[in-house]
Amino acid sequence: MGLGFTVGVIGVLILGHAAYSTIQYRSLLKITEEEFSGPPMEVVLELLVGLLFCMWAALTVPGKFLSVHPHSDENRVVSLPENVDFMIFNHRGRAFPSEVGLKLKH
Amino acid sequence: MVTKTEESQLNKLENQVENGGGGAWEYLCLARKLKARRSDKVLKYGLSILNDSRKRSSLGPDEWTLYEQVAVAAMDCHALDVAKDCISALQKKFPESKRVGRLEAMLLEAKGSWEDAEAAYSSLLEDNPFDQVIHKRRVAIAKAQGNISAAIEWLNKYLEIFMADHDAWRELAEIYVSLQMYKQAAFCYEELILSQPTVPLYHLAYADVLYTLGGLENLQTAKKYYSSTIDLSGGKNNRALFGICLCTSAISQLARGRNREDKDSSSDLPSLASAALEKEYKLHASDKLSVLTSTLKCLRVSS
Repeated sequence: MGLGFTVGVIGVLILGHAAYSTIQYRSLLKITEEEFSGPPMEVVLELLVGLLFCMWAALTVPGKFLSVHPHSDENRVVSLPENVDFMIFNHRGRAFPSEVGLKLKH
Repeated sequence: MVTKTEESQLNKLENQVENGGGGAWEYLCLARKLKARRSDKVLKYGLSILNDSRKRSSLGPDEWTLYEQVAVAAMDCHALDVAKDCISALQKKFPESKRVGRLEAMLLEAKGSWEDAEAAYSSLLEDNPFDQVIHKRRVAIAKAQGNISAAIEWLNKYLEIFMADHDAWRELAEIYVSLQMYKQAAFCYEELILSQPTVPLYHLAYADVLYTLGGLENLQTAKKYYSSTIDLSGGKNNRALFGICLCTSAISQLARGRNREDKDSSSDLPSLASAALEKEYKLHASDKLSVLTSTLKCLRVSS
């Protein structure tokens, strides 16, 4: 988790650096009075690298993803909950006390 | 609905607590959440937490929920003095509470004094005539006394008011099945499937009831619902696999006298089901595999 977190922070810093370079490039173009068509090639590459880092961190840091399929082996319904509202107490278990001497001690 | 992971987690916690490895509080919370009826374990480990004043104070406000859980478990194990002590502790803390009043009436039920319990529930209902749990406890009293027709009557009256309560529909379906009134049970299961179509166990129960009713249309519908159970449970429900094989054999027996309709388009379904069954048995119960193969052969031969 530490590695994923660090990679995520590095990715955000790379994106920030790319934004800063683009702003600097634009101000440079304003000085030389040229059109701003798009950021230079290096900045685009830097953006892609930052994107990859951030995506990798976003997928690794939260931990194990749970399955969503309702019929997968972990998520399938195995039994229904007991109907607790209709539970009755005069069943045969009355004749077999589980443990003698169970008491609430205060 | 209890999923496979939750069930295995519950069993693992239970083993861990039984072998002295701690984790009793997580076990109790999970048992309460899944509504599993393991009253003897809940009673034993709940009391061990409650009797230890250090552990009790570390629970904070959850202590009272634990008292309630232990009280109900004690009533289920017929340890009525433990239940009485828990309820009096709850009463001291929450003197005018309806929830505690309900527990007291349940204790009267557990003792067997049905009229006192009835009177207690009626007085509770006067203050709050739309309390669902108390209506359901009245049905439970009728059921416990063996008066099934009164239970059915109360339950029908309850369902006229609270039509969306699927626990009550399930209870009514089970009561009808116990009385062999299968058509009414089928109606109740239909209501359940309408409200919760993704729970495979309702489809399975409905298919069982239809198969018991018999008749060609019912058998064909039962086969469809067994297939939907297999679909919804990822193919792991052995009962539904068996159901398909039995339905196919019963249908072909019934249709033997009439003209053999060309339903051979679905003829690979029973063979697939038997193959899946054999695979499961090989995996889990390989010594019974021969019994299974001979049974399946008989089903196919007699058709």
